[in-house]
Amino acid sequence: MGSVGEERAKNKRGIWGWLNPYHYNAERWAYTFQRVTGVAILLYVLGHLGDTSFFIGGPTGTGPSPSGWSFIGSIFENSFGHLILILVVLVLFFHGVNGVRLILSEFGLIFRRPGPIEYPYKPRSLSSGQRYLIWIGIAAAIVAALWAFLVLFEGMG
Amino acid sequence: MRESRLMLMQYATAVVAVALVAIHLIMQGVIYPYSTAISFDNILSIYRSWPYAIFLEALLVVVLVHGFNGVRIILHEWRQTAPWSWWVDVGTSAAILVSVAYGTRTIILAIFGGVAG
Repeated sequence: MGSVGEERAKNKRGIWGWLNPYHYNAERWAYTFQRVTGVAILLYVLGHLGDTSFFIGGPTGTGPSPSGWSFIGSIFENSFGHLILILVVLVLFFHGVNGVRLILSEFGLIFRRPGPIEYPYKPRSLSSGQRYLIWIGIAAAIVAALWAFLVLFEGMG
Repeated sequence: MRESRLMLMQYATAVVAVALVAIHLIMQGVIYPYSTAISFDNILSIYRSWPYAIFLEALLVVVLVHGFNGVRIILHEWRQTAPWSWWVDVGTSAAILVSVAYGTRTIILAIFGGVAG
């Protein structure tokens, strides 16, 4: 076994191993993007907790504050802030649809019965149905991002 | 809690989060125009409507539990030493508690706090 194989066997490739571009199929890339989008969404949620807290005046606020809300709006309610929201919607929809695919996979609902492994060694259990769900996730993300664009930039012009 | 139970919780919170986030997006971008949805008066009326306040609290808990448990899973895959695992479990549990507390504080003060002049 070579050094790369030994590293894989010992699970030492870590998070950087997600980004290995060689020998990866669509499912593996979907796995990588699921992790990356998940972390990105969590970071957004934490930021969203911070910005919505300005509705009550921020970390030291005590009740609904029009000036606090106006302050945070002056920072984020602009083209750059809306662009961030569109990106959030994009990754949110991919993460959601691909996550449903992963749950269905976990319970074996979208896999075919495994068969003998024969050349060219493509796993027969990976049905085209579950791979369609990856593309549906990508399509849903693009459509949702376009919808978000229309919603957010309507009336800004 | 056993890892198998935690993984089931991850799937359960994922399914619930999909539904709750969909409702949240519909409220923000379909039912109201966006400019109305983010207006101070509209948000105040939403916070002070009990069904929606309960909905927001549920959204807060479900999304944060799902998110931090996801990070916990990633960190467990990254390294597998006993001290690391302990710190990851304790750290992500603390992060859930702190962030849920901060978000809940916003909801409670938005409902019961006096509106600043």
